[in-house]
Amino acid sequence: MKKKDIITGLVVILSITALSGYLLAQVYKITKPRIDEQKKQEEQRLYKEIFPEGAEFVEEKEYVAVYDGNKNPIGRVYQIVQAGYGGPVVIKVGFDTEGKVKGVRILEQSETPGLGAKITEKTFLDQFSGKTGNELYLKKYNKEGKIDAITGATISSRAVSEGILKLQEKIKLEKTADTVTGATTKEAGYEKTD
Amino acid sequence: MKKLIEPKSFSAGLWKENPIFFLMLGLCPLLAVSSSLKDAIGMGVAFIFVLTGSNITVSIIRKVVPSHIRIPVFIVVIATFVTIADYSLAAYLPKLHRNLGVYLPLMVVNCIILGRAEAFASKNNLINSALDGLGMGIGFTLAIIIIAFLRELPGQGTLLGINILGENYKPFLIMIMPPGAFFVIGFLIALKNSIGGRKKC
Repeated sequence: MKKKDIITGLVVILSITALSGYLLAQVYKITKPRIDEQKKQEEQRLYKEIFPEGAEFVEEKEYVAVYDGNKNPIGRVYQIVQAGYGGPVVIKVGFDTEGKVKGVRILEQSETPGLGAKITEKTFLDQFSGKTGNELYLKKYNKEGKIDAITGATISSRAVSEGILKLQEKIKLEKTADTVTGATTKEAGYEKTD
Repeated sequence: MKKLIEPKSFSAGLWKENPIFFLMLGLCPLLAVSSSLKDAIGMGVAFIFVLTGSNITVSIIRKVVPSHIRIPVFIVVIATFVTIADYSLAAYLPKLHRNLGVYLPLMVVNCIILGRAEAFASKNNLINSALDGLGMGIGFTLAIIIIAFLRELPGQGTLLGINILGENYKPFLIMIMPPGAFFVIGFLIALKNSIGGRKKC
C-alpha cells in the first residue's frame, strides 16, 4: 500500500465519521427532550396504574411516596434493576402501608419478544398484587410461592419475582434500621442533657 | 452499462433475489422478531428505512471511498442510520421500541444491509441503489410478515394481538418459541424450492 493511499483513506474515514457524529448529535438534540418526556409520562402512568387511588406521587431519594386525595400516605413505589434473560429488567413495585405488594409494572426490559417480554403483561404482573412474604416466590421454587411463571420464560419470570423479594427484604431492613437509629439519637440526646 | 433507472433493481428484492428466501441473508432478526406480527411490521419498516438510507449514502460516496477502507466506512454509514431509527422510535413509538429491544441496534451488523451496500450500492447509481434498498427492504418485510403470521396464529391464537381463534384455543406454544421460527422458515423454503424457485447452479 502506498503512502498516498493511507492518507486518502484516513481523510475519507475521518470526514465520514465526523459527519456522522454531527448528524447524530443533531438527531439526539431533537429527540432527547421527547424521549425524556416519554419516560416521565411512562413513569407517571405506571405509578397511576399501581396506585389508581393515588393523587400525588412525590419523588423521594429511594422511592416515590404516594398520597391519596386527602394527603394521607397510602404507600410507596420502589424501583429495582434485576438481571433478566436478555439484559437488565427495570421493575417498579408498589407497596402499601402494611408492606403488601400493591402492584408491579415493568419500566424497561430487553427480553425475547413474544416470550420473556410477556413479563410486561398484566396477566402475569397482577399475580403479585396483595401478596407478601414467601407468596412472592414462583410456585416451582418455594412451597408457599403463588406466582405462575410464563411458559417458556422461567428466567424472565424469576427475575421479576426475585426483584420484588429483594425489595421486600430491603424495606424490612430499612424499617428495623429506622427504629435503631431512632433509639440511638434518643440516647445521644439524653447524654447531652446529662 | 446499466441504465439510469432499472426497474429490475426494485423488483429483484421482492421475489427473484428475495433476501430471505433466495439469498438466505439476515436470518437472525427474522428468526428473533417474527413471533408477533406487530413487532414484525415495526422491524420491517425500520429495516426499509435503514437499508434505503444506507444504500443511497453508500451510492453517493462510492467514488470517493478507497476500496481498502470501504467496509469500515459502510459500517459507519449503517450505524448512523440505525441510531437515527433507534432514537426516533424511542421518541415517537416507545412501545414498539421496547418490544424490538436489542434487535434494533443489532441491525448495524445485519448481513443484508452490509451485503447490499457492498454488492449493489457501491457499484450502482443513486436511483438504482435507492430502488434496490426499497425492493430488498420490502422483500424482507413481506417475508417477516408471512413468518410472523404463521407463528403468531398457531402459537398464540392471535393476530396483531387480537384474539382470532377464540378463548378455547390451546396455543401451540412451540411456534412462538425459537424452534417454531426454524420450522416455519424450513417449510417455507422447502415449499419455495418445490414450486420451482430453486436456482440452477
